[in-house]
Amino acid sequence: MTRRKLVLRNLVRKKSRFLFTVLGIAVGVASLVTLLSLGSGLEAEVRKQADVLGAELVVTPKGWCAYEQISVLTGESLPEAIPNEDVEKVTAIPGLTAIPYLVQRTALRNQPVTVVGIPPDAMKKFKNWEMDRGEYLLDQQSAVVGFGVAKQFELNPDQILTIRGTEFRLRGVLKELGNRDDLAIYLDLSVAQKIYQVGDKVSFIAVKVHDLTQMDRYILEIPEQANVAVVSDKQLVKSVLAIVGAVRTTLLLIAAVAILAACFGIVNTMMTATYERKREVGILQALGARKSTIFSLFLWESAFYGFFGGVLGILAGSAFSYFAAPYLGHSEFSAFLGSEQSVRIFSLEIMGQCLVFSLLVASLAGVYPAWRAARLSPVEAISYE
Amino acid sequence: MNEPIYRTEKLTKAYDDGYRTVALADVDLEIPRGSLSCIMGPSGHGKSTLLHLLGGLDRPTSGKVYLDGLDLSAMNANILAEVRGRRIGFVFQFFNLLPVLSVQENVEVAMMLARVPTSEHPARARELLGLVGLEDKLYARPHQLSGGQRQRVAVARALANDPDILLMDEPSGNLDSNSERELLDHIRRINQQGKTVVIVTHSPNVAAIAGSILHLRDGRLVV
Repeated sequence: MTRRKLVLRNLVRKKSRFLFTVLGIAVGVASLVTLLSLGSGLEAEVRKQADVLGAELVVTPKGWCAYEQISVLTGESLPEAIPNEDVEKVTAIPGLTAIPYLVQRTALRNQPVTVVGIPPDAMKKFKNWEMDRGEYLLDQQSAVVGFGVAKQFELNPDQILTIRGTEFRLRGVLKELGNRDDLAIYLDLSVAQKIYQVGDKVSFIAVKVHDLTQMDRYILEIPEQANVAVVSDKQLVKSVLAIVGAVRTTLLLIAAVAILAACFGIVNTMMTATYERKREVGILQALGARKSTIFSLFLWESAFYGFFGGVLGILAGSAFSYFAAPYLGHSEFSAFLGSEQSVRIFSLEIMGQCLVFSLLVASLAGVYPAWRAARLSPVEAISYE
Repeated sequence: MNEPIYRTEKLTKAYDDGYRTVALADVDLEIPRGSLSCIMGPSGHGKSTLLHLLGGLDRPTSGKVYLDGLDLSAMNANILAEVRGRRIGFVFQFFNLLPVLSVQENVEVAMMLARVPTSEHPARARELLGLVGLEDKLYARPHQLSGGQRQRVAVARALANDPDILLMDEPSGNLDSNSERELLDHIRRINQQGKTVVIVTHSPNVAAIAGSILHLRDGRLVV
């Protein structure tokens, strides 16, 4: 006979009570695992999308808020606000490669799709795109699509796409990149400006700096030359991560409340157990159990609730992250993730942290009932009916 | 005459929860080592209280309990638990077996608390249960046993730590006459092995096997 065996026997003596208490913890831990996985996935994706941008600086209209800056990374449609005059001023600064973007939306078979107007040649050089099939040709009647769009809508070269009432021949499909470049239709910038009736304006300008040591100088110089604001890719990622972090913290607090509620479930279960097993506590004391032994038996029982609840919660949370990821990917908030894999993060670190957290919290919840059981006087306990 | 294993001096226990009740008053007694003693008397006159004080389960309001010259009333809770675990075995009227454990495990749990090495538990538990005639009930749960069988498990459990002293509170109180007879045979045999046995009882059959009988009335020893 070992203490562990005794604890486990006591744990499952009321099976339904055990099950519901474990489920309470499991729900809390599952939400924690899901949110942490999702949070890590979002963070990783934000960093990846910043790399995809391929630019060290992003030139935006003055007064853009953080949410609009996020949209540079997410591919959401953006207001057209930088006139061609400013684009030319930025482009004219020596030591930079500047690519203007016009980001808009259209619908294919009632599904929203991003349309990006770009300068074709400069962009191809900027991104080093390669073709999966067809050719890279953007002109008045031609369009190119990302791999994801072609896959989703079963598009092939020479098919006709209708965007804002204008027909375009699909010339080619880009090679799969595993990022949001896969999820857009590309048009010549001037054509996109014409069909979306935005005049000569663009949404933002991606800037590659030839000499990185001169970054700070360009951050000062660009706004002097044109009526625009400049943000570095690092600042952009930082501000996006700050928002992601705030959302994540809020969601984690909700998960923490769920776990806290489950802890009160454990306290309730263990308090009931101390009343029900009062006489048994007395027997153990008569057989030579110290107060510390009684305390540890009840505390271990509580910790086991945390362990089983934690393991079940981690499995459920991981399963939810895995199976729900494709559906989450369809929401406006997370559409930019581009690939489902980013949500499907199974981090041993996250799982370990959640299990330790669950164990700690459940043990903490067991302290008071264990203390109550340990301080029973042997005679009082043994005479209890 | 054997030297006493137990000695009490002016042993008094009173309960005060708004109304003072004296359960035991100025009891001086000696229990010889290796004896089989009975404590008799009407219900509510302090028999079980005396047994609890002898077993270190309770503390006197005043007076002393000496076990082999050591004052139990002066010991802290941990040392008392140690003494109970190593030197004393208890048997109660209502068997008090742990319902979630099998017969064998109920005996093993006492060994665990007495810190007997885990590897020795199964063999020793089987040996003790064999002594009380329950070798075929090792894996049964307490609710599957008769009252007499449960009490024999309780006796085996009380012997698990190989104690010097066996304290029994109405051990045959819930048994039929056949079961009582079997239990008394076991108790006699245990006493003959040199263990001191103290039994609180109302039963004249139990008293009949005792070497000495102490009578308690209104918390006082009656000569």
